[in-house]
Amino acid sequence: MYQYTEVDQKLVDERVAQYRDQTRRFLAGELPDEEFRALRLMNGLYIQRLAPMLRVAIPYGLMSSRQLRKLAHIARTYDKGYGHFTTRTNIQYNWPTLESVPDILAELAEVQMHAIQTSGNCIRNTTTDPYAGVNANELEDPRPYCEIIRQWSTLNPEFAYLPRKFKIAVTGGPDDRAASQVHDIGLHLVKNDAGEIGFEVLVGGGLGRTPVIGKQISPFVAKHDLLTYLEAILRVYNLHGRRDNKYKARIKILVGALGVDKFREMVEQEWAQIRDSELKLTDAEIERIKGHFTPFDYDAGAVDNDLDAKLAADEDFRTWYERNTVNHKVAGYRIVVVSLKPYLKPAGDISDGQMDLVADLADRYSGGEIRATHDQNLVLADVKQGDLYALWQVLADNNLARPNIGTLTDMIVCPGFDYCSLANARTLNIADQINEKFEQVDYLHDIGNIRVNMSGCINACGHHHVGHIGILGVDKKGEDWYQLTLGGSSEADASLGKVLGKAVPADEVANTLEKLLLTYIELRDSEQESFLETVRRVGLDPFKESVYAPAH
Amino acid sequence: MPLLINRQLVDQDPWLRVEDEQALPADGALLLPLARYLDQKDQLAGRQLGVLINGDDDINSVIAEIDKLQLVAIEIPAFTDGRGFSFARLLRRAGFNGQVRAIGDVSRDRLEFMERCGFDAYDIPDDRFKPEIIEAFDEISVDYQGAADDPRPLFRR
Ligand code: SF4
Repeated sequence: MYQYTEVDQKLVDERVAQYRDQTRRFLAGELPDEEFRALRLMNGLYIQRLAPMLRVAIPYGLMSSRQLRKLAHIARTYDKGYGHFTTRTNIQYNWPTLESVPDILAELAEVQMHAIQTSGNCIRNTTTDPYAGVNANELEDPRPYCEIIRQWSTLNPEFAYLPRKFKIAVTGGPDDRAASQVHDIGLHLVKNDAGEIGFEVLVGGGLGRTPVIGKQISPFVAKHDLLTYLEAILRVYNLHGRRDNKYKARIKILVGALGVDKFREMVEQEWAQIRDSELKLTDAEIERIKGHFTPFDYDAGAVDNDLDAKLAADEDFRTWYERNTVNHKVAGYRIVVVSLKPYLKPAGDISDGQMDLVADLADRYSGGEIRATHDQNLVLADVKQGDLYALWQVLADNNLARPNIGTLTDMIVCPGFDYCSLANARTLNIADQINEKFEQVDYLHDIGNIRVNMSGCINACGHHHVGHIGILGVDKKGEDWYQLTLGGSSEADASLGKVLGKAVPADEVANTLEKLLLTYIELRDSEQESFLETVRRVGLDPFKESVYAPAH
Repeated sequence: MPLLINRQLVDQDPWLRVEDEQALPADGALLLPLARYLDQKDQLAGRQLGVLINGDDDINSVIAEIDKLQLVAIEIPAFTDGRGFSFARLLRRAGFNGQVRAIGDVSRDRLEFMERCGFDAYDIPDDRFKPEIIEAFDEISVDYQGAADDPRPLFRR
């Protein structure tokens, strides 16, 4: 993975000192609230319902074991012993004090980490595929390009005060595990007819109040032109994005208002000015960054192992293997997903002890690296098949091996009213209700892949619009109600869910889900047809009927 | 109002800011709103001229005039309004060598980014000024991007 140069290190060290002084000036009354707010947000610090919340950047979701141990240490020392992984593959701490944040940032800098631009109206952490570099389907490892974008966007002086936050996701091939079509910019590595590598560029996707699927602005931007093209988009947005209404300030609104053709014309016009400028990437730079992401030294002998015997002998292990591990591009290896969706615990939460443990397991079995996923789980990407059984046993002993990846209980859930000051409704209790309802039902495994996403308000941090089933908390006269959507997806076939009907009361959410799932089982044309495919084929009506028809 | 030019505090500002309705002084350097400048520039040829713009103005109409201008003052209506950063960059990219001044909601924690984008002068409200403000320019001594003084990003240096 990428290792800091002296410049990278100096930048984060000086940034810590700068923020320490900003905090001091704020506490001394020299910095107005509103101004400090913008400055602390650019260092990841929110003030939440109960306490400040600090969001630490995990660039494109990749961490070393040393870094994860540091995150554990911070959870133990400055927080209540846990952290929370987000859909932007960052980690959040819910209980640090405002005064301790400079010290936390200094600790992070010791392991080449920071909280720069994890919030605020600036370019946020770039995300990518958690299986980058290890899945056979990709054209190239997207992570070097993510690192190139990280450097260009970090403390970029021109784009620190954008109209609104700005999110970029990069995928390495046709599969989309990064929800790239609902990002301000989605970049897909593609090859043109001449066999050159470049990017298809989408712009103006996003969720929130006005969900939109990104539109193609260019079918092919050569890799050397990556930064000039991004800079052209950002400049047009910075100059023309709306600043009078924060709900209309995202780039999707600008693209929608101008139309993608006009927006493209403006970007191309600006791009023509800078395309051949100093910002054009050089081969040397691309190669230098790629040099940090060379594949592991895979062991050709890893194919000889006793995996089949273990799978045959232990049914629990086999269930976990089938659900929580994924094909690796190298024979004899497997990608392991560490489930952060245990029974009755908040999605994405992890204790300091579990973090230390996963760091140890990464050292022992997976090259010392860990990835965070968009779905709020962790990944050990390079595990030998012969090590899976031992790894599974340790994970299972530590509540990290619930065999639910891609199933109903692998929900994306935002923190909701329990933590978030913007929330309309609670989410964690509803997630528990769903877990309780479905923990014992035998048809759950029959249902196969299904994505349930839940948000506590229309800001949509839980990405409910792109859940196969989306759940949105709404406030009705002081009571929590939940609106359901069906048919969303954030993958290559991205789509926005459609509203099922009127909201249901809090105690009816799991029952409603059950009705939807039973309807699906009844209607699917074969066991191969997924929930999403069935919804797309038959439409919403039969599902509406099952939920809203008066009981006979 | 304290004025910083090239990181120095200066006590004399030669520029006279003239609003739309005000009569033009007979001599001295004139800072005019963009519309008035465009309207009267022919009569004013030969004088020291500057324009005052804000985020809603079309930067290209200013760029078209840069060989006649010695000052472009960019009004920052609120510190969160980042359009001025792009304006400064575009002016410098077009080859403008005169003064680019930030006025309005200008305070310490944006000075370094402003300078990198091409500003070289800052009108700082009295209540936001302290002599230590000068230190803000050196808080972060390294960067990845090209800037007004050196267009090369780190990877070309
Ligand atoms: S979706 Fe709403 S409730 Fe949930 S985290 Fe975002 S802002 Fe908070």
